[in-house]
Amino acid sequence: MSMQHHPAEELLLDYAAGASDEATSLILATHLALCPQCRRTVGQAEAAGGALLATAKPEALSSGALESVLARLSDTVTEPAAPKLTAIGKAEAPEPLRSYIGGDLDSVKWRRIAGGISYADLPVRGKSKARLIRSEPGAGVGVHSHKGNELTLCLTGGYTDVTGTYARGDIQTTDPTVEHRPLADPEGPCITLGVTDAPLVFRSRVIGLLAKVFGF
Amino acid sequence: MMVHASTAPLPNLSLSWPRFAGRGVRHLALSKVRLMDSRADEKTELNDMLVAVGCRRDRAAFKALFEHFAPRVKGYLLRLGTTGGAAEDLAQEAMLMIWRKAAMFDPGKASASTWIFTIARNLRIDAIRRERRPTFDPNDPAFVPDAEPQADAQMVRAEQEDKLIAAVRTLPPDQAKVIEMSFFADTPHTAIAEALGLPLGTVKSRLRLAMARIRASLGSEEE
Repeated sequence: MSMQHHPAEELLLDYAAGASDEATSLILATHLALCPQCRRTVGQAEAAGGALLATAKPEALSSGALESVLARLSDTVTEPAAPKLTAIGKAEAPEPLRSYIGGDLDSVKWRRIAGGISYADLPVRGKSKARLIRSEPGAGVGVHSHKGNELTLCLTGGYTDVTGTYARGDIQTTDPTVEHRPLADPEGPCITLGVTDAPLVFRSRVIGLLAKVFGF
Repeated sequence: MMVHASTAPLPNLSLSWPRFAGRGVRHLALSKVRLMDSRADEKTELNDMLVAVGCRRDRAAFKALFEHFAPRVKGYLLRLGTTGGAAEDLAQEAMLMIWRKAAMFDPGKASASTWIFTIARNLRIDAIRRERRPTFDPNDPAFVPDAEPQADAQMVRAEQEDKLIAAVRTLPPDQAKVIEMSFFADTPHTAIAEALGLPLGTVKSRLRLAMARIRASLGSEEE
C-alpha cells in the first residue's frame, strides 16, 4: 500500500490531546489502523501529554480517597478483553470502524439515492457527522463545497477530484475554500467514510434539493 | 587492571526498587526518598511500579503510584474545567482503571505518565463529554503493522522523558499557549483559532513548530 494523503499533524495532535469530537476521532483512528507513520506522530503527541501530566500541579485528593480506592481493588478481576468481531473474508473495515458498523463493509445497510450513490450514517455523538458513502464505478457526488470542514477516508476502490487521486487509507481534508466533484474510479465501487462538521453546499440547486429530500 | 572494580556490585537505583517490593510501605517510602536524587531514576521507578502492579498485583506499588499520580490526574482534570467533585471521582476511577489495566502497560512503548495520561484522557471523554473514544486495535485483522518493528513503539526512556519535559516547559509562549489549549482546554485547533482570534494557518504552524520541538526532544529520526 502506498499511501499518499495523510491527516494534517494538527488533527493528529487534537486526537492525541483528546480534543477531537467522536466522528473526527473515528475517522482518524481508522486511518491510524492503516498508517504506521501517523501512529508514530500520535505516540509522540501522547508522550507530550504524559509530560504535561507529569508536571501538572498536583491537587490533593480528599482524605480517605486512597483507602476507598484500595477497598475497591480486586486481586482476581482483570480487564476482560473486548470481544473481537470475527472478520470474515477480506476485513476491509478495521477497528474502530468495524464496531461502529457492527460488521465489515459487506454488512452495511445502504440507503440508495440517485446517480449510483448510496450512504449509511454511523451512530456518533458530538458535533460532527460520520457517514459511509458508496459510489458505483464512475459515479460521484455532485459538485459541492462545504460550509465547514470535511474529512474523507477512502476504504475501498479509489476516487479522483481536482485535488488528486485517493486510494485505500488516504485521507482528504477539505475546507470551505474547496469546491470539488469526487468521482469513483472506473475499476470498481468506491467506499469512503466522510466526516463533516457542517452540511455540504451543492452548486446545482436541483441536486441540493434532492440531497435534502433523501436526507443526504 | 581495574577488572576487580567492575565485579563489585554497583548500586543501581533503577533496580533497587523491586527488591523492596512486598516488604511493606516503610521500605517503599525509603526507596522513594532515595530516588528523589535523580528525576530519570524516578521515571524508571514509576515504570517499574506500574509493571509490578500489572504482573504481580502489587498493592504497595499501587499505593506509591496512587500517591504520585492521583493528585496529578486530579490537577489535569481540574484544568480541563471538570468541577471539584467530578474531578475527585474521576481521578479515583482513573486509579482503579490503572489497577485493572496495568497488565496492558508496556514500558517499551510508553512511559508510565504517558500511559496514565491516555487513561485519564479517555475516561474524561467518556464521563464528561459522554462520547466514545474510538481507538485502533493492533490485533485487528485489517490492522497494518509497521514494517520496522520499533516504529510503532515510541520508545521513551527515562532520560528522554526528562528531555521531553524540558522541551514542553521551554516552548515559546505562543506555542505553549496552543499546546495548552489542545491538552487542557479540550479545544481542537479550529476552535483555538476562533478563541484566540488568530488565522487558522497561524495556529496550525504554531502547533507544528511545537510538535517539531517535541519530536526533536524524543530524538526521532524525522526531526
